[in-house]
Amino acid sequence: MERRKSFWYLRRRSVESDVDEELNTHLEMRIEELVQSGMSRDDARREAMRQFGDLEGTRRYCRQQDQTRENVMQRTLSFQDVMQDVKIGARSLMRVPLLTATIILTVGVGMGATTAIFSAIDAAILRPLPYANADRLVRIYTDTKPYKFRFSAVDYLAFTEQQTRFEQHATFTDRSVSFSNGEVAELLRTRVVSWGFFKVLGINPVIGRDFSEADGRPGTPPVALASYAFWQQRLGGRADAIGKPVRLDGADYTVVGVMPASNGPIERRYDLFLIQQFTPPPRKGPFFYSVIARLPQGANRALASDELHAMNRALFPLWKASYQDEKATWSMEDLKTNLVGDVRAIAGLSLAAVALVWLIACANASSLLIARVNGRRQELAVRAALGASRGRVIRYLLVESGLLAIGAAILAVGIAYSGMQLLQTLGATYFPRTGEIQFTSTLALVMLALAVSSALLFGLVPALNVTGGTVDESLRSSRSTTASAGVRRMRRVLVAAQFAIATPLLIVAGLLLASLDQLRHVDLGFDTQQLLVGSIRLPSAQYQQPERMTAFWNELQRRIEGLPGVASVAFSDGLPPNQVGGFNNFDLEDHPAGPGGSQPVTSWLSITPSYMRTVGLKLIEGRLLDEHDIPLGLSLVVDRAWAKRFFPNQSAVGKRLKNGGCTTCDWNVVVGVVSEVKYGGLDQPDMGAVYQTISPVPSLFLIVRTNGDPLSVAPAVRQAVRQLEPAAPLSNIATIDGLVDQSLVRPQSLSMLVTTFAAVALLLSIIGIYGVMGYYVQQHVKEISIRMALGGSRNDVARLVIGHGMAVVISGVIAGTAIAFAATRLMRTLLFGVGAADPMTFAGVTTMMIAVALMACALPAWRAMRVQPAAVLRNE
Amino acid sequence: MSSNPLPLLQGTLDLLVLRCLSGGARHGYAIASIVREQTGGDLSIEDAALYQSLHRLHRQHLVDAEWGPSENNRRARFYTLTSAGRTRLREETANWRRYARAVDAVLVGA
Repeated sequence: MERRKSFWYLRRRSVESDVDEELNTHLEMRIEELVQSGMSRDDARREAMRQFGDLEGTRRYCRQQDQTRENVMQRTLSFQDVMQDVKIGARSLMRVPLLTATIILTVGVGMGATTAIFSAIDAAILRPLPYANADRLVRIYTDTKPYKFRFSAVDYLAFTEQQTRFEQHATFTDRSVSFSNGEVAELLRTRVVSWGFFKVLGINPVIGRDFSEADGRPGTPPVALASYAFWQQRLGGRADAIGKPVRLDGADYTVVGVMPASNGPIERRYDLFLIQQFTPPPRKGPFFYSVIARLPQGANRALASDELHAMNRALFPLWKASYQDEKATWSMEDLKTNLVGDVRAIAGLSLAAVALVWLIACANASSLLIARVNGRRQELAVRAALGASRGRVIRYLLVESGLLAIGAAILAVGIAYSGMQLLQTLGATYFPRTGEIQFTSTLALVMLALAVSSALLFGLVPALNVTGGTVDESLRSSRSTTASAGVRRMRRVLVAAQFAIATPLLIVAGLLLASLDQLRHVDLGFDTQQLLVGSIRLPSAQYQQPERMTAFWNELQRRIEGLPGVASVAFSDGLPPNQVGGFNNFDLEDHPAGPGGSQPVTSWLSITPSYMRTVGLKLIEGRLLDEHDIPLGLSLVVDRAWAKRFFPNQSAVGKRLKNGGCTTCDWNVVVGVVSEVKYGGLDQPDMGAVYQTISPVPSLFLIVRTNGDPLSVAPAVRQAVRQLEPAAPLSNIATIDGLVDQSLVRPQSLSMLVTTFAAVALLLSIIGIYGVMGYYVQQHVKEISIRMALGGSRNDVARLVIGHGMAVVISGVIAGTAIAFAATRLMRTLLFGVGAADPMTFAGVTTMMIAVALMACALPAWRAMRVQPAAVLRNE
Repeated sequence: MSSNPLPLLQGTLDLLVLRCLSGGARHGYAIASIVREQTGGDLSIEDAALYQSLHRLHRQHLVDAEWGPSENNRRARFYTLTSAGRTRLREETANWRRYARAVDAVLVGA
């Protein structure tokens, strides 16, 4: 009893025993009082119990009250503890502003950029299409592996006549039409759709009505649906626009409805939707019609596919006269797969680039914090000695890194936001569906995950590392040299990891830059300077007769040629570097495809005879096209690649072929061979092109070779077009050089993006190695002094320090090169003229990294050489 | 003085307990004795209700509790008013007076 007394005031007791003891004490005191007043002990006990009342109920009630109070206090206390840590942590971070800013900036940029790129991937790949039950939508196409062609009118009409498994289907094709509101004419982007188009997508008009089946019948007055933007901007956003006509290509279309403002990839960015009316076509081609369809719930896709194959087989014999490719069949694929296409390489590359920078930034932060925490080893040891548990110290360090992560996350939100804005406008060259980029809950989760893993990455590693040693050991060693060997090893590993991550990034950037350089030096095959181009579309209603069209083009050519500064003028249906006029299949007299065989297909351009001269193609063999070839249109000129491909060992001149699969047509004759020009993009090989004289068409490209600056002639050319036909706007005015630059925007900005991030990664790695080596020299001042005092030369010291640092760097670079070797193969599709394992790039990048790292090590080494051994040793 | 002690409302009991502690730290038994002495048995207060009141007030942070030695050198739980408890005592006393006056006024007037 006596011994217990001394603990009365200190001993912590449970709530239960406290209540029990209190109530017992009360009863004992009452009994004692009653006994003193003369009662027997038994009676006194009974009386005390009676006076007390409900003992068990009270015990329960009191325990419950105390427990509630205890719980609330516990929560408040631990919250206060954390707040205390936060306050101390924030204050101590403020004392090292440079370190804090470095970590927040680098990790924040990494997190923000990763989130922004992820938003593009989320929109393009992860999210379903913004249509009702989008997973049931498919695209149907003519399948001639490896190409996917659209349907022809014949195909689609045959398809609609069949009873199929598909619930709904529709076709669409694009047309730019000139729209005139009485004063000026402009080109509109329209999509000509069959009547069920919006029913397949599940979109209803906001006002007016959708197309009906009757609208699609030939002979019904043509109708149109306006996009929301077009309705707002050109139709005044008024409800009475419904039922009014709009004049397109000189013909009137009645607007029957307005579609909602939508973001779906197959209907956004069109001004108008025009009704498609099919008249029975005379031959199988051309293949202009994209087909979409909706499968019913739970449909068997294999059966639907088989059905398509069977339909195609049944249709084939009926059109054999104009189409002989028996291998071609009909196939379908998921609409999303079809629209999104092959973005996985580019998505993976850009995501990897930003995520790796984030990782390096975390490694860098981790390394910096290890150094910082290590400097405070003694402070923390004192805390531990004063009773702070290891968990408590780790919690404090985690709170500190949590603060840094929160700072980085705040910065990251801003960066992600502006990055997403940028991707929405400029990202369209890389990613499909950029219009659908938005901040979703998935994105918020990604951000949160990045922030939490950042905090753990650069918080937990230093915390576990530092609190690992025993308290005693840390307190006793006045210099932290002995205790921090493990810490130094950890930092070296982190820095090596940084180099291992930065190396593949830089190699990828190097490969992209090299292929960009290759692209820049691609020979287009002609003098690209002083060429002005544009496109002209005649209103089809006024120009139905071929003679009128021909007269217009001839007169326009004559007028523009008369302008000052113009050397020559031509028209064509294709343009370098990436506007192929069209493709055409043909059957060579010498190498017929035979029954069931696939006919060869090449680019096919219609040109005016002046085209060769205007663009500047060299005649290699035979003759060029001239005015006499126009009436029959049977003479062809081919390029050298075509000649080599089909007649490798003989002259192509004089060879005959039938084009478009037409068996009853007259023979076309090759009359000349010219040099190659890129029509399919700079990065595409020359696969051969055929030139034919132009037949009367309403829409052509204009090409003008000028004597001076091409753009200075543009106003006069525009004026000439307007004077001749006010309803035919000259649009898309550009120079060929401008078009070439435009076609380089995509590879250029991709390589810029990756190069920027690679540079940041390199910079962070350099900061890392510099920090580690600076710290190394600082910690080894004594050892270095002793070496020097014992006769070691300054060069020995420099070699020691640099060797130490470079061992870390080189191991990282070697690991990184191995990673790059495996990874760059995945980006082969993005490269042009450079191998994925290009030895020049690999050697150049690694040499450069080692050279830069050497410089970063040289400064600490130089400092080590300046050590004054006498001074250092005296101070010991 | 009637022979049957009057029952007590919970809020009133809390008020009385607070009042008993206004003189300084007391343990439960002492409070029970004071209440009994001062009411002369007019109010029926079970010890059970008293302890429940004390723990309730403690949970509400109106009183503090601490173990200490009693007059007989027993280990006992001593209660003191917190500043919140003091304020509550003032308010509730005023309320009680107003209530009593109002009831009294009606009783007298009728």
